[in-house]
Amino acid sequence: MSEFVLRTEKLTKRFGGLIAVDKLSFNLAGGRLHAIIGPNGAGKTTFFNLISGLLTSDGGRVFFHEREITGLKPHQISRLGIKRTLQIKSVFPQLSVADNLWITGFAGQRFLNPLRAASRDRGAREKVERTLEQIGLTTLAQRQAGTLSYGDVALLEIGMALISEPRLLLLDEPTCGMSPAETERAVTKIQELARVIDIIIIEHDMEVVFEIADDITVMAQGAILASGSPEKIAADESVREAYLGREEDEDYVEEDAHA
Amino acid sequence: MTSAAAINRVLLAVFTAFMLSVPWSVPALINSFWVSVIAEILIWSLFAASVNLLFGYVGLLSFGQALYFGCGMYGVAIGISDFGLSFWPAFGLGIVAAMAMALVTGIFAVRLTWHYFAIITVVFSLIFYFLALTNKWLTGGDDGINFTLPSTFSFGATHWSFTDPTFQYFFILGAVSLCFWLMHRLIGSPLGKAFLAIRDNDVRASLIGLNVYLLRLIAFVMAGFLAGVAGALFAFFGRYASATYMFYHVSGEAVVWAIVGGAGTLFGPIVGTSIFIVVREIVSTHWEHHSLIVGVVAILVVIFAPKGIVGLWHEWLTRLTERGMAPPVKTELRTEP
Amino acid sequence: METLLLLAMNGLIWGLIIALIALGLAIIFGLLDIINLAHGDFFMVGTVLAWATLQSTGNFWLAFVVAPLVGFILGALIQRVVIQPIHNVAVLSIVATFGLSLILQESVRITFGPTPRRILPPIQGTVDLFGIDYEVYRIFAAAVAIVALVGFFVFLHRTRLGTWMRAVRHDRDTAVAMGIPAHRVYIFTFAIGFALAAVGGVVAAPITTVDFRGGVDILPFCFMAVIIGGLGNLPGTAAAAILLSFLEGVISSVADPTVARISSLVLMSAVLLLRPQGLFKGLTR
Repeated sequence: MSEFVLRTEKLTKRFGGLIAVDKLSFNLAGGRLHAIIGPNGAGKTTFFNLISGLLTSDGGRVFFHEREITGLKPHQISRLGIKRTLQIKSVFPQLSVADNLWITGFAGQRFLNPLRAASRDRGAREKVERTLEQIGLTTLAQRQAGTLSYGDVALLEIGMALISEPRLLLLDEPTCGMSPAETERAVTKIQELARVIDIIIIEHDMEVVFEIADDITVMAQGAILASGSPEKIAADESVREAYLGREEDEDYVEEDAHA
Repeated sequence: MTSAAAINRVLLAVFTAFMLSVPWSVPALINSFWVSVIAEILIWSLFAASVNLLFGYVGLLSFGQALYFGCGMYGVAIGISDFGLSFWPAFGLGIVAAMAMALVTGIFAVRLTWHYFAIITVVFSLIFYFLALTNKWLTGGDDGINFTLPSTFSFGATHWSFTDPTFQYFFILGAVSLCFWLMHRLIGSPLGKAFLAIRDNDVRASLIGLNVYLLRLIAFVMAGFLAGVAGALFAFFGRYASATYMFYHVSGEAVVWAIVGGAGTLFGPIVGTSIFIVVREIVSTHWEHHSLIVGVVAILVVIFAPKGIVGLWHEWLTRLTERGMAPPVKTELRTEP
Repeated sequence: METLLLLAMNGLIWGLIIALIALGLAIIFGLLDIINLAHGDFFMVGTVLAWATLQSTGNFWLAFVVAPLVGFILGALIQRVVIQPIHNVAVLSIVATFGLSLILQESVRITFGPTPRRILPPIQGTVDLFGIDYEVYRIFAAAVAIVALVGFFVFLHRTRLGTWMRAVRHDRDTAVAMGIPAHRVYIFTFAIGFALAAVGGVVAAPITTVDFRGGVDILPFCFMAVIIGGLGNLPGTAAAAILLSFLEGVISSVADPTVARISSLVLMSAVLLLRPQGLFKGLTR
């Protein structure tokens, strides 16, 4: 793979006097599941916001498959195939589960027909049904998304990511707030997805990270602290320092280093 | 769930039958004056529907729809009295004027959200209200313009016009029903679903590829269309146009009607408008301070029933018809992979 | 030339009074995030209280005590009964305040009557100012407004309650974490907002008509001052009120007063669209 799926050059974002993302140069090779970890305030979500267009950068450039996307609007970036989930579970609460999937799958259409019933489109309906099966929410298809349990909302979000046929998927703390059972279910789904889609995932749960990531990048204070394979990161001293005090995470890092 | 839909269908059938019988049943039951009251209710329902389209389905609270109502109204009045247009060209002029105004103001207004959107819609409507007041030569100011009504349909010697109360009623009923039917189709359509997505979560909507600004603008122009049709019908109904109908109080009342009726429901505007106008008609014969009732109801509804009457009806109906069914699936206990 | 001077002076003084009222709106908008469509009617209630006090006691000056007191109590009551219960449907607060506006107008119409009344200024006579005979009361009104404005800013910066208000406006969550009783601050804010508008009403009553519709014209003007001055920028709001009113006075000496109003509204739209933080952001803070 000669070209990088995603590449940033000296990407910078300032909030007043605070530098949230500091001349970040990042590369994502295709066919890998890349995890970004780091202490709170490291700039991980800001980084995602910059890539997806929710924030405009103060410097630097972003390239998607070598095509520059710096400064494009969120819906334009989305139409290029970069999809993301948000840190706080965010779906369309008053729409049904099926409608949530439908709108995600077909929002990118150039022309939205104002008169024909949405349910008429058989191809769209089938796609929604298939996705519902994939994420296991078929029985909840007509339920209002706002009434779902937390774990199901996360599955719905993954479903929404699936149906939009992304070329690059940015997952922002997908297992945040989940029970162990829900986390396991989500992890399985993400691994399945990673086989066909390039994924970058922000995670705090070290178990998950070391289980599924092919590459890990550690961020701190807006810059890259270390980057490489899970083994390399686990053995890195500066990484351990950045996580000082996070004893339980250190244990996982130790375990995997000796694994 | 089918029983809820069936109940609603029966209600709709009864309602339709009643509405079709009004020119005969109402004079028999009450008096013929109320036929024109019901016609007026239909017109104002359409106006409330324009507020409802923006607020209930797209999440934009506009407090300035009276501007587009006024454009429709003046388009007809000026078209007839100054340009000598006949019925349909004047009607068209009113609608086009309203949509054009909605497009021009919408381009700016829709860039804002939340409180600022509401404020700027009022500001725009105030600007044009004052312009209408000062340009008395064109608009007649607060006193308004009166005009004689051209006939609607002419086939040789037969003329059908609004001077015939029955024809007037059916024309208004037909026009308003057509608009409501269009709204119904819109809501079920891909565009309608896109509106709902923007209303629920506009950030997420942009992330999945929806052009939020453009879609809001389209909705704004559509709402302008509805308000313009209402204004045009009003002008034909009263043979009269006046700047007072462009003032923000008129917009505000429509907002109250839409919310009391039920924001985000198709029939909410009709229910809300009917209640307030019927109360006004009944109360004002004995007591002139019916606005007090409007104010109190507005506050009570916002505090206790923000979903409005039709919203509550849907909730109640769903709860009633679901009671006999199996409890919802317990999702946390599922063991499937 | 004389008309220009007269109208400009009137505009300036009226602007001082509006600044007082607009500050009431600014704190309600800034702290409670509410578009208070009834704020003009708070002013109107002030004018009516002035008239009522004069009628029943023969003493106009008493109104300066009665109006803010009544306004304060009413404001606190309204916040507790109407505003607080709807905090989770905040976008509908505009509907609730619209309803409130209708209630206030109709209640006044029922009790006070539909006919506009006038109050004679308690200080009669004119004085020679720049070559024109200018009403003494207006100058007095300006002085009162200035005193009230200064008093308000002193309160805001020197008292504990004022500091609480500024803290809650700046960052509600941190303020609550520091132990500031946000709920009480909200009640107080609404109450002060009403009281300020009421005081403005008393001051203005002798130079305007006392009428149940008296608030309708004031409302857009206050919003203009708040938006153009900048949301959250209290001195900016006051400055904007004075400036706008002065400009409108100047314009109306050469054109229809409605034209002046239209140009202010256009300016307001421009600010909303291009510089939503207001025109005076850089000058303070």
